[in-house]
Amino acid sequence: MEKSFKIQSEGIKEVDILVGIPSYNNSRTIGHVVRAVMAGLAKYFPKAKTVLVNSDGGSTDGTRDEVKKVGIEDFKMILTSHPGHPIHKIVTPYHGIPGKGSAFRTIFEAAKLLNVKACAVVDSDLRSITPEWMELLLRPIYEEGFDYVAPLYGRHKFDGTITNSIVYPITRALYGKRIRQPIGGDFGFSGKLATFYLTKDVWETDVARFGIDIWMTTLAIAEGYKVCQSYLGAKIHDAKDPGEDLGPMFTQVVSSVFSLMGNYQHLWKEVRESQTVSTFGFHYEVGLEPVSVNVERMIRNFRLGVKDLMEIWRKALPSETALWLESIGRLSDESFSFPQDLWARIIYDFASAYHKGSVHREHLLKSMIPLYLGRVASFVMENQESTAGEVEAKIESLCRVFEEMKPYLIERWEQEK
Amino acid sequence: MGEVWRVAISDSFDKFLGKVITFLPNLLAMITILIIGFLIAWIVKKLIFRFLKAIQFDKVSERWGLVEVLSKGGLTYSPASLLSRFFYWVIVLITLIMGINALDVPATQNFIAQFFNYLPHLFAAILILIVGYLIAIFLGQAALIAAVNAQMESARLLGRSVRWFIIILSLTMALYHLGIAEKVIIAAFTIIFGGIVLALSIAFGWGGRELAKDFLERLYRKKEKGERDQDHISHI
Repeated sequence: MEKSFKIQSEGIKEVDILVGIPSYNNSRTIGHVVRAVMAGLAKYFPKAKTVLVNSDGGSTDGTRDEVKKVGIEDFKMILTSHPGHPIHKIVTPYHGIPGKGSAFRTIFEAAKLLNVKACAVVDSDLRSITPEWMELLLRPIYEEGFDYVAPLYGRHKFDGTITNSIVYPITRALYGKRIRQPIGGDFGFSGKLATFYLTKDVWETDVARFGIDIWMTTLAIAEGYKVCQSYLGAKIHDAKDPGEDLGPMFTQVVSSVFSLMGNYQHLWKEVRESQTVSTFGFHYEVGLEPVSVNVERMIRNFRLGVKDLMEIWRKALPSETALWLESIGRLSDESFSFPQDLWARIIYDFASAYHKGSVHREHLLKSMIPLYLGRVASFVMENQESTAGEVEAKIESLCRVFEEMKPYLIERWEQEK
Repeated sequence: MGEVWRVAISDSFDKFLGKVITFLPNLLAMITILIIGFLIAWIVKKLIFRFLKAIQFDKVSERWGLVEVLSKGGLTYSPASLLSRFFYWVIVLITLIMGINALDVPATQNFIAQFFNYLPHLFAAILILIVGYLIAIFLGQAALIAAVNAQMESARLLGRSVRWFIIILSLTMALYHLGIAEKVIIAAFTIIFGGIVLALSIAFGWGGRELAKDFLERLYRKKEKGERDQDHISHI
């Protein structure tokens, strides 16, 4: 545990609720996030002893000063009663390799040290967070006996493409729980679960980076903790180039999914169907700004992959799948289509290849990016005119394909080279 | 006269017997060395093979592309089997040389001394070639994937260039280590790579000024266009 944390937490003995905010150069938005968190804690948990922990990755833009600046006086107008306890604020750097997961580890350690009952973590670049998020993420833990709360958002129909095309369908098919945003980034969890997370030695892997979200969700499900989800409303991030992080984001998330498949193979091989989980919060439609997607560029990237990476892909794919991909690569932009069953088959083939280790794992994952972009391009083209509801139905149908094709995964997984 | 003959024959017989008596232990030593050496070679081969199987060497070799190379070269042995056989034959070779050495024949002494002096260089050269080849395959593939993901049309050319550059570099290092035409190799390497860099500098700096200008302008325009065409979806 960081020395600065110990100094700041002196005098704080037992805490009921802890909210963690990982950050790195988020001075533009973190003030708003901290205000929303503190207002939410004061408004919905006035009698609880609460602490806010900002786990920072060495920001140089004054992020930590922004956190320190926010006070309870800022939002007195929304409070009906004065909180019974002060909300403590701790700003601490995290240790370990740079990444979101390492920041979370510090938050888990704080939760264990302060013996908290309920925790929540929220992203520091959120523009749409409201005080109600605290109630929605924490109350199921604090009062309803749940151990893990995943978020549910209103998002643009083309947002969260790694979630929609890979992580949600495969997590649901593998572990049998319909958690719609398994890598949402904003979660609630019990102190007991935080302590359990700390028993795992994963802090030198991709879990210490972008893999943390799927790792937390998968462990909560696979280890039999009580899971639910809460509808939080719109999710709007601070504007930045999403393509900038695609490579590391994609490989770290997918490698975590595939590694966890190895750890829990005894479990997922027995799961036959998926079930819904308890959902909290009032669902409402949100107005979202339109987003631009450069489909031509994605298709170009896919074709380049077919031309140059087929030799690597063939090590993971059966020959008929490789031929299918080659035929898709020859389609014109207008008639371009990447079918759902082909996509599910490819994900299962790559998961099996990752498990067997027949191709260098990092190369295998990076070589998947053109395939992913091909599938996203096809999805965007199919749903250009669709409503959010129709798109959700398409994602549901993709999930069913993943579930139906699970015997294929088991067959490929167990196949000797 | 008869006495002279008897002494002459007896002396030469004694000398022969003396030589045989001197040589016989050496011969026995050689036979013993050969038997023990072959036995050790066989045990080492088995142990190395089992160890390589235990650490899944064949799987790692497949991942690094070594299996593909072996099969292209017509070798049907698995990498683990090949490596264990290699060590077997190295020990057999050393055993044979030690056996010959045990005979204590002056003509072979110098040759054996030279051989043992050269042996470390030979091993180092083989090691450089193997490691160099594996690094070339790995980095060539990494460059290819990175170039495809960066949407470079000439991705395959880049991947191959990286691979061949490292193969040539390791080959040069291996030959240098073996002491084969050291000066010629260094000179050839310097001339070839220096020549490539010079040719590119002249082509871009002088001969192809306009071409270079056009290329950079197109690159800049493409970048600007890329920024305008950027996706605004969040992948995660």
